[in-house]
Amino acid sequence: MAAANAGTQGTGMPDPIHQFEIHRLIPIKIFGWDASFTNASLFMLLAVLLIAGFYFVSMQARSLVPNRLQSLAEMSYEFVAKMLRESTGHGGMKYFPFVFTIFAFVLTANTLGLIPGFFTVTSHIIVTAALAAMVFITVLIVGFAKNGAKFLQLFVPQGVPIVILPLVVLIEIISFLSRPVSHSVRLFANMLAGHITLKVFGGFVVMLLGAGAYAVLAPLPLLMAIALTALELLVAFLQAYVFTMLTCMYLNDALHPGH
Amino acid sequence: MPNAADRRGPGERQLSPEEAARFQGRVSELGDRLGRIKAQRDAEAHADLDAEMRGRGMAHGMRMAAEMVAAVMVGGGIGWGLDWWLGSKPWLFLLFFLLGFVAGVLNVMRGYERMQSEFMARTGGRIGHSVPDDED
Repeated sequence: MAAANAGTQGTGMPDPIHQFEIHRLIPIKIFGWDASFTNASLFMLLAVLLIAGFYFVSMQARSLVPNRLQSLAEMSYEFVAKMLRESTGHGGMKYFPFVFTIFAFVLTANTLGLIPGFFTVTSHIIVTAALAAMVFITVLIVGFAKNGAKFLQLFVPQGVPIVILPLVVLIEIISFLSRPVSHSVRLFANMLAGHITLKVFGGFVVMLLGAGAYAVLAPLPLLMAIALTALELLVAFLQAYVFTMLTCMYLNDALHPGH
Repeated sequence: MPNAADRRGPGERQLSPEEAARFQGRVSELGDRLGRIKAQRDAEAHADLDAEMRGRGMAHGMRMAAEMVAAVMVGGGIGWGLDWWLGSKPWLFLLFFLLGFVAGVLNVMRGYERMQSEFMARTGGRIGHSVPDDED
């Protein structure tokens, strides 16, 4: 976020949106398509390398009594495994690698973004939409592969009078189609809003410091920014949790469409 | 008191009345302290659970809003697309916009049901006691 000071405009207020800009680091063109390596790509790569590195290093010892790193790795495993088992039953554990990868990626990307000057990958809707679409398509494929046409029962609730059934089915379909939208928008909106708020309060500090006698008030927004940083840390974790939780719920629908 | 002496095990000796009273006092004091610590620990555990549930409640709340908006957006989008395709502007848009609204309410209701059952399972309905209430 420190880099955003470069975006200072004539008003003296740092531009709160500047932190989300994407720059091409290594321009790549494939058949006219822009596939450049951008700062977003860099931080996604960083997140993946961090995750892989962490689990590689922490599980080196493989001791029965874990050291700190190993117990952290085991805790994260237990956390996701419990979530998945509770919502899908034992049959769902087959999809654990998928769910765990999503959890680790979202959590790492969210928390990486809190480091000043770093880019928040999950504050871009294209990234969260890609993740949500991945879940949505997985649910469709698993649902039809496991249950065949029975998967369509998901749209036909039991005990509904035949007269209003078409309307209810239509509503259920819209409800189903809205899932990937809310799934992606929630994560994206939370990260975006949090980072903009942090930036605005940071900007207040700078503006007050440059406003003569009003500089005595500058610590107030600074305190607010500190409190907000703590809140953002909570939100970063909560949103990773919610994203994973919903993934588990949707997978459960694919495995047991009849409720 | 030969009978009383017989019932005593080896190594024990008769307590004088003062000693017995002091012993009783110590026992009851210890009992009081244990009770206090236990009550405090229970309260702490409860406050922890409350804090955790508050965090989750926040996450759930944010979910609901997104759920509602997403369904309306998808409904409106479908209607708009169908209108554009069938040239029936603006009727299908209006219809599907409303259906989207209904789907949103359905989503929120389902989310609430899940949340409620999860909270009841974790806390047994006893939640929020660590938060000071204005009414009290």
